[in-house]
Amino acid sequence: MNRVTFESVGKVFRHRPALFNWVGHERTGDTFALNNVSFSASSAEVIGLLGPNGSGKTTALKLISTLLLPDSGSVRVGGFDSLRDSGKVRRQVGIAVATERSFFPRLSARENLDFFAALDEVPRRERPRRIQEVLCDTGLEEQADTLAMKFSSGMYQRLGLARALIKRPSILLLDEPTRSLDAAATSHLWETIRALARQNTTVFLATHNFSEAAAVAGRLLLLNHGALLEDRVLSGRERADDLRSLYFQRTGEHAVADDAAAVAIHRAEAAS
Amino acid sequence: MKSMLDKLAAILRRDVLTAIRYRTGFVLTLFGVLIELAAFYYLSRAIGPGFRPEGVEYFPFLLVGTGLYTFFVMSAQAFLSAVQEAQQTGTLEVLMTTATAPAELLVLSAISAFSGSLVNLVIYLFAGIAVFRAAVHANFLSCVVVVILSLAIALAVGVLAATFQVAVQKGSALIWLLGSGLWFLSGTMFPVQSLPRPLGVLARAVPFTYAIDAMRGALIEGRPLIAMLPTLAALAAFGLVLLPLALGSLSFSLRRARQCGTLSLY
Repeated sequence: MNRVTFESVGKVFRHRPALFNWVGHERTGDTFALNNVSFSASSAEVIGLLGPNGSGKTTALKLISTLLLPDSGSVRVGGFDSLRDSGKVRRQVGIAVATERSFFPRLSARENLDFFAALDEVPRRERPRRIQEVLCDTGLEEQADTLAMKFSSGMYQRLGLARALIKRPSILLLDEPTRSLDAAATSHLWETIRALARQNTTVFLATHNFSEAAAVAGRLLLLNHGALLEDRVLSGRERADDLRSLYFQRTGEHAVADDAAAVAIHRAEAAS
Repeated sequence: MKSMLDKLAAILRRDVLTAIRYRTGFVLTLFGVLIELAAFYYLSRAIGPGFRPEGVEYFPFLLVGTGLYTFFVMSAQAFLSAVQEAQQTGTLEVLMTTATAPAELLVLSAISAFSGSLVNLVIYLFAGIAVFRAAVHANFLSCVVVVILSLAIALAVGVLAATFQVAVQKGSALIWLLGSGLWFLSGTMFPVQSLPRPLGVLARAVPFTYAIDAMRGALIEGRPLIAMLPTLAALAAFGLVLLPLALGSLSFSLRRARQCGTLSLY
């Protein structure tokens, strides 16, 4: 059975004109974040979401987690419609966002996890064991009783993952999970993702890192300007360079990237 | 129900831990209570014993009026600040992905914020009575009933402020209205009978007027419940109308924010 199904999903963000817009200037009009996107994901799949900034990756994750509701089409998670049964959907989904500050700074890592576990309805008796388990999985045992405000970026990111795992979700959403992690922590996270997939968890991984996608994803969704350009099963033999080539070929971003790099180099040279 | 109490306990624990870990702020708040009371005490002495609004001494009159009104404003403000901060840090979005329904989560958070303000109110009243010798003849049962009804009103106001914040990112507008627009209508520092007739009518449309009136009756004059029935009934009616209205508006604005993608905008 499909764990997640997108059927012709559309999501538009409307920019309403500001009052007295002639004083300053704020853009108006619509942004088509996702346009008629369809795909489905089964259990135990690790799906890499690739695409330039603003391509719709985070919007797709937010739609699965019910943080956003679709304007057209339908999103079904574990058989439940995200519009009608958002509560049942949320019970199945864990999300680790890239926002570092999304914790209570004056609570320790353990206290933060205990708080979120309570809201996720993890039984009180089971909480200490689960907290210890996710702290171990994310390598945060030694920082368990440190206040979150004293954490580094990487530690915040690990804590975000621990928070997403504490309810043992059947669907895990990761938005740039290794952005601030060191090499060892990155490698450990990739191993954790593979282990979760072996335990039947469906993992969505939004990333800009081709090596990461090649290392853990079994399937690739490539988005650009809200459209799904590519839905491809990976054989396991693809390397980062293969995904990079595919990315630039399909998005047409290569030339722009080269030009931008050339301009940056030229400016740096001129400045020196 | 058990699950909801468990969540409420977790939210209360979070708020208590956060409050006491801001060590200096915690101490300054307690100190601020004494300074404010001293100001009102000397104001009432300067005005003199001849001024007896509604037949009671002016200092206890001020103590109850300012204490309860501050409770309403500060509790709504504290809850609103928590929502704004959660929007700015991204915590609100993460909270909205938990198994707890968004509206339930915000209401439980509001209860926690108001419990903190209630403790402040009790400290304020206790300090006024114990340190500044405010003359009171409390009827405890009446006081408890008035506090419960006032909590319902405060909860509705706080939830409405959160609704404004989520819907138009300007919950502070409601707090401004409370802080500067309504205090003089609710008999906080002088009796509403001194207002001109049109404003007096308007004052009767403000729930805080009834709450402050009832609290003065219960705490200063020791009036039993039966003697305050019309005031308590009005207060209960406000609660019965405002609470469902606030909760319905909050649910609607949260759903709209998820539809428009504005949940974390501030």
